[in-house]
Amino acid sequence: MSAMEEIEWEECWRERGHDPELERHLRSSLGFVPPPALYFFDCPWIPRSFAEIGYLQGNFRHVGWELYEKLNLVVSQENSCRFCFAAYRFLLRVTGVPEDRIRRLEQDLLSADIDPSERAALDFARKLSRSNPLPSREDLQKLRDAGFGDEALKEIAFVAAHMVAVNQLATLAAVPPERWERLPDRWYVRLTGPLIRRRFLSRWRHPEADHLEPELRIGPFAYLVNAFDGLPIARSMRKVIDEAWSSPLLTRRAKALIFAVVAHGLGSARAEREAARLAANEGLEADALEEVLAHLASPALDAVESEAVTFARETIWYQPAPIQRRARQLSEKLERAQLSELVGISAFANMLCRLDAVVPDAT
Amino acid sequence: MTVSWLLAVGALAGITLLGVLWWRERAEATRLRRRLEDAAGNLEHLQRTFSRFVPEAVVEQVIAGGLPAGERKEVTALFADLAGFTPLAERIEPTLLVEILNDYFERMSRAITEHRGRVSTFLGDGILALFGAFEPNPWQGDDAVRAALAMREELADYNRELAEKGLPNLAFGVGLHRGVGVAGLVGSREKKEFAIVGRTVNVAARVQDLTRQHDADILVTEDLARTLDSHFSLRPLPAAELRGIAKPVAVYAVER
Repeated sequence: MSAMEEIEWEECWRERGHDPELERHLRSSLGFVPPPALYFFDCPWIPRSFAEIGYLQGNFRHVGWELYEKLNLVVSQENSCRFCFAAYRFLLRVTGVPEDRIRRLEQDLLSADIDPSERAALDFARKLSRSNPLPSREDLQKLRDAGFGDEALKEIAFVAAHMVAVNQLATLAAVPPERWERLPDRWYVRLTGPLIRRRFLSRWRHPEADHLEPELRIGPFAYLVNAFDGLPIARSMRKVIDEAWSSPLLTRRAKALIFAVVAHGLGSARAEREAARLAANEGLEADALEEVLAHLASPALDAVESEAVTFARETIWYQPAPIQRRARQLSEKLERAQLSELVGISAFANMLCRLDAVVPDAT
Repeated sequence: MTVSWLLAVGALAGITLLGVLWWRERAEATRLRRRLEDAAGNLEHLQRTFSRFVPEAVVEQVIAGGLPAGERKEVTALFADLAGFTPLAERIEPTLLVEILNDYFERMSRAITEHRGRVSTFLGDGILALFGAFEPNPWQGDDAVRAALAMREELADYNRELAEKGLPNLAFGVGLHRGVGVAGLVGSREKKEFAIVGRTVNVAARVQDLTRQHDADILVTEDLARTLDSHFSLRPLPAAELRGIAKPVAVYAVER
């Protein structure tokens, strides 16, 4: 049994959603419906983001399949996400990585028998997934020294930061991990492993460079999206951010506040400035924002915003069971779809703010 | 014919022997691999447990064979001490005393961790907790005062339980201070612990001493008070001389 299975994990407190159209969309994009997506069907941009940013969409030019899976495994381990850890452990097994290599990887990354450049990437991903401080210039240099160019470095950061968001979605919904934890040892999985492997690998593509059209170079967090221009992931980021920003379940002001709180907690100066700009555009006074960032409260906030800022702060550093209990408590105060969007925006704020680490700040 | 039979039996015996040897080697290799995996699993478990007491980056540096350098950090220190515990300790049975102390520590630790603090150490009947020491926390001051208020509630609750059992009530004093300290692994070669060294922890402990003098259970220094949310109700008290601190320190009683 992996030590991950000893981590306290609450009973799933959300019901799965059902939306034939969304399910069809996910199946046609990914070949399956990712289990965490099922719990957020009432906030459609979240399940759609799985299909948009997903790993089978030909989004990555430099990160290969095995490194991709390993990055996700170590980030999930770092975040104590039992569901994602079990899922990526399973995928590594069926895609041909031997059990003992996976065990060595999860038990002792520092001395595991792995390629030095891969180790540098995994070490960077773990640092990025931690709440604060974000990786430094020296950490970026270590990746360059290991042979990764600027584009590869951004993709590694993106994979790790996106996994932080997926970990949060799976953890906060308390998606049951047990089935996935037992799956690699099932006889039928061993039997059908090569077929599953073929199915996954046949979808993996290394795409060409992709540049954003001028109309896609504007919008919330444009500085960040534009820094990824040339990589196919930039287009997907733009689409997901725009969909999340225009979703009507929470106000834009509440979303800007969530971004600001997460950026402040992570020490992401540039993301904090962008969130402050977005909040000001939505009519929030600078003094009120300053008060929120200092004390997570302000008379200028409405009831939903007050809940949102305290919850957003709790997503920066958390243990699974307490945050699952907290999310369950919030389900008594907010409408179901509102809570879905709060969880989704907080998760993506944690992702975008972490990406500041690979975007040079001119100021 | 007989020779052929003998050769065949000999070959069969040889093959069987080789098979047995191969099987034994394989079983031994499997056993060793399992032991290695168990040891690695235990190490992983230990690493996770250790991470509750020391920041993860420090754990990793130690495992990699290095000793992390000290680092300056802004932290909020909370020092809690039971008032009048020594005479109480002399009056009640040692087993009961340990039970009461453990229940008290359990409740106080819960209040601290629920507000993002970490218990650094238990000193007799005292508790030193740190906020912002393990991971940078811009809201550490508010968190620490909320933790102190939660400790006050926990203690009131525990006192009700003690009264029902006919046992004497407990009372505590809590001192809080915010400032910069040096975080690192300190101690001898045999025993090291993650600690914040410097004035911040000392001031919190000295301010705790003032609680009896001011008849207040929770005191904060001005350095902390000026960073707090205005929703906290603070009562200013006269500045006091603290042992080992050059200038008098202004303190506030936290009412709610």
